[in-house]
Amino acid sequence: MAFVGGVMALLLGAAFVLLVMAVFGQRDAGRLALRSQEAITAGQELEKTVLSMDSGVRGYVASGRERFLDPWQSGLKTYPGQVRKLAGLVADEPEQQAQVRRIAEQADDYVNLWARPLVALARDRLSVARSVIATGTGRDRLDQIRSGFQTLFTQEHAVARMREQRAERGSSRGVAAGWGGLILVAVLAVGFAFYLRRSVVSPVLTVSEASRRLAEGDMSVRVPPVRDDELGDLARAFNTMADSLEVSQAELGERSRELERSNRELEQFASVTSHDLQAPLATISMYAQLLEQRHANDLNGGRQLVDGINAATVKARSLIRDLLEYSRAGRGDLLNEPVDIRAVVEEALEMLAAPVEQSGADVNVEELPVILGDPRKLRQVFLNLIGNALKFAETSPSVRVSAEVQGSTAIFAVTDNGIGMEPEHAERIFQPFHRLHSEDEYPGSGIGLAVCERIVEQHGGRIWAQSAPGEGSVFRFTLPVAGRRRLAATSFDGGAAG
Amino acid sequence: VRARVVIVAALAAALAGCGGGDGGGKKDAAKPVITLGTKNFTEQYIVGELYKQTLEKSGFTVKLKSDIGSSEIIDQALTAGSLDMYPEYTGVLLSEIAGQRKRPATAPAAYEAAKRFEEERGFTMLRMTPFTNSNALGVKPAFARRNGLRTIADLKRLKGVVIGAPPEFQTRFEGAVGLRQVYGIRDMVVKPLPPADRYKTLDQGGVNVIAVFTTDGQLARGKYVVLKDPRNLFAFQNLAPVIRRDLVRKYGARLSGPIDRVSARLTTKAMQAMNAAVDLGGQKPAAVAARFLRSAR
Repeated sequence: MAFVGGVMALLLGAAFVLLVMAVFGQRDAGRLALRSQEAITAGQELEKTVLSMDSGVRGYVASGRERFLDPWQSGLKTYPGQVRKLAGLVADEPEQQAQVRRIAEQADDYVNLWARPLVALARDRLSVARSVIATGTGRDRLDQIRSGFQTLFTQEHAVARMREQRAERGSSRGVAAGWGGLILVAVLAVGFAFYLRRSVVSPVLTVSEASRRLAEGDMSVRVPPVRDDELGDLARAFNTMADSLEVSQAELGERSRELERSNRELEQFASVTSHDLQAPLATISMYAQLLEQRHANDLNGGRQLVDGINAATVKARSLIRDLLEYSRAGRGDLLNEPVDIRAVVEEALEMLAAPVEQSGADVNVEELPVILGDPRKLRQVFLNLIGNALKFAETSPSVRVSAEVQGSTAIFAVTDNGIGMEPEHAERIFQPFHRLHSEDEYPGSGIGLAVCERIVEQHGGRIWAQSAPGEGSVFRFTLPVAGRRRLAATSFDGGAAG
Repeated sequence: VRARVVIVAALAAALAGCGGGDGGGKKDAAKPVITLGTKNFTEQYIVGELYKQTLEKSGFTVKLKSDIGSSEIIDQALTAGSLDMYPEYTGVLLSEIAGQRKRPATAPAAYEAAKRFEEERGFTMLRMTPFTNSNALGVKPAFARRNGLRTIADLKRLKGVVIGAPPEFQTRFEGAVGLRQVYGIRDMVVKPLPPADRYKTLDQGGVNVIAVFTTDGQLARGKYVVLKDPRNLFAFQNLAPVIRRDLVRKYGARLSGPIDRVSARLTTKAMQAMNAAVDLGGQKPAAVAARFLRSAR
C-alpha cells in the first residue's frame, strides 16, 4: 500500500510539475510572441525612420529648402535608439541579432557615407549634389536596408511561428498532464475509499456487531484481531473485555445459583421443621388436656404446671403457624390475574369485622385501582397492615387505605393514627419475629410485616414504613400495575421491575 | 556619428596599447582600426582591396567601405570623419575638390599640388601610382570611321551627340563644362549612366560617346577608340591615397611603407589587366587583388 501510494504521489507530482511547466511555458510563449511582434514593430519604425530621412534628404537636395531636412534631423536623433531597442528585442535569437547588426551597419553607412556627405555637398554646391543623387549609391543602400528589413521580418515571423508551435505543444502536453492528474486523483480517491471501507469501516463494523451481540448476552462472541494496527488493538481490547465479562458473568451465575439453592434448602428446612413440629406439639397439647380432664382432682398444686404446658404449646403452635405462613408466603405459584384491590380490601375488612367492631375504628377506603396479581396473597397484605393499624392504637383507631398510580406503578398507603415508632425501627420491623413491644402489651408473633414484605417483593414491589412515636404510621408499598414480569430476573428491589 | 565614435574608441585603444611601452601582450586586442573608403567603380574596388589586404598584413584592422560614390560625396565623408582614407585621382581632386582651374603641366606637379591642398586641411597623400586613369571619351571604331573622329575637337562637327557618363559629368569642368569651354561643343546631350553600364550602353547604341577612364579593362582589347585630347582638357589622374595626417604621423612607415610599395607597382598595364579580370572576367575584386599581391613575392 505504501509503495503504491508512493508511486501515485510521484505520478501526481510529475503531472503537477508538467502542468506548471506548461503554464509557465505558455506564459513565456505569450511573452515571446509579444516580443516578436514588438521586434517587428520596432523594425518597422526604424525602417520608416530611415525612409523618411532619405526622402527628407532627397527633398532638400531637390528643393534646396532647409525645412525639408526636418525628418532627416529628427531621424538622426531617433534612429540609434531605435536600433538599440530592436537589438534588445531580438537579443535571444543569434541569427536575428546578426541581421539587426547588418541593418544597423547599413543604416550607419547610409547616414555617414551617403546622406550626411550629400547634405553637406548640397549646402556647398547644390547643383553638384543634384547631379550625383541620380545615380549615386543612396538608392542602392536604401534598397539594401529595405531588403535587410524584409529578411528580418520574415525570419522574425518564422521565429514567432516556431515559438507558437513550441508553446502549443507545451500546452497540449500540459492539458494531457492535467487530465492524467485528474484521472489519477479520481483513481486515488476511489482506491482510498475502497481501502478505507475494507480496512477501517469493515473492522469497526465487525466490532460494533460483536458489541451488540455481547450486549444481547452472547458471551462467546469474539472478533478476529487480524491486523497489527489501531484497529487490531481495538479488536484485541474488545476480546479482552468480552473474556473478562464472560468470566464475571459465569461467576455471577454460579453465585446466584448457589444462593438460590441455599435459600431453597433453608425454606424447605423451615417448612419441614414447622410442619413436622406441629404433630408432636399437637400430641403434647392433647396429653396436657387429657391430664387436665382425667386427673383434675389429683393434680392439686400441679394444675398450675399443666396450665403452663398448655399455654406454652399454644404459643409454640402459633409460632409454628406463623412460620408456616411466612414460608408459604414466599413459595408456590403466584397468580397473575386482574385484581380489583378495592374488593380485596373489603374482603379483608370483613375478616376483621370483629376487631373493627370492638375498637370502634373508623376505616376509610379511598379509590383503588385494578392491577394484575394474586388476589389471595394481596388480601393477606391488607389484612396484616389493617390488622396492625387496629392493634397498635391508643384511642379509637382511624385507618385510611389509599392508592396513587404513577406510570406503571401503583403506590398503596395504609395510614393510621396509632402509637407510631422511632424512625430507626422502621426498617427492622419487616424482619421475621422482630417485635418492638412485649407480647403482653400487644399480642402477635411479629411475622405479619415479614409476610407482607415477602408477598410484595414476590409481586415485584417494595414496602416501607414512615413513622414517629405518637404520630401514627404510614405503610406504603408499590406494585407493578401490569403484574410481575414473567422473565424478569429475581427481584431484589421490586420497584424497578415494572 | 557612430563611425566617428568607433574610430575614436579604436584610437584610444591603440594609444593605450602603444603608450605604455610594454603593451606587447595587448597588441592583438589593440589593433589600430582604419576605415578605408572607395568610390563606386571597379578600379576603386580593386585598389580598395589591395590597400585593405596590405594593411591587414601589417597588423591593422581595416573596415573597407567601398561603393561610397563620386569624389564630391566621398570627400564630404572623409572631412566629416566617417573615413580615414580613400584613393583619389590627382586631377579630380584638384579640379573638383580643390576647385583649381589651373592645369598642372606634369603628373608629379599635379600630385604635389593635390598633396599640398590636402595637407592644408589636415590630410595628406601617400605615394601616387605610376598609372594615370585620366578621363577620356571613347567611341566605337565604326562610329569613329564613319564620322572621321580622331580627337575630341572632331565631335564639334556632329549634330546632337549623346554622351553617356556618370551624373557628375554634367557639372564638372572635366566633363560637359570643359567640353563647352575648351572645345566649344554645344550640341550635345549628357545621359547619366552608372559607371558600370557605360560600355554596354555604347555597344547597344544608347549613346554615341561615353566617358571612359584610361585604365578601363575594356580598352585593353581594341574594341573601342579613345579620342585624343589635344587641348589637355582631361588632367593627369594618377591615383594616391588621401589619408588623415595624424594617422601617418602616428604609425609612420608601418602604415605608409606597405601602401607605397603597392602603389608603386600599379602601372597602367597592371591596372587594366586587373580591371579586365573583374569587369570582363567576372572575378571578385578581392580575389584579383589577392593574386596581384601574391605575385609580388
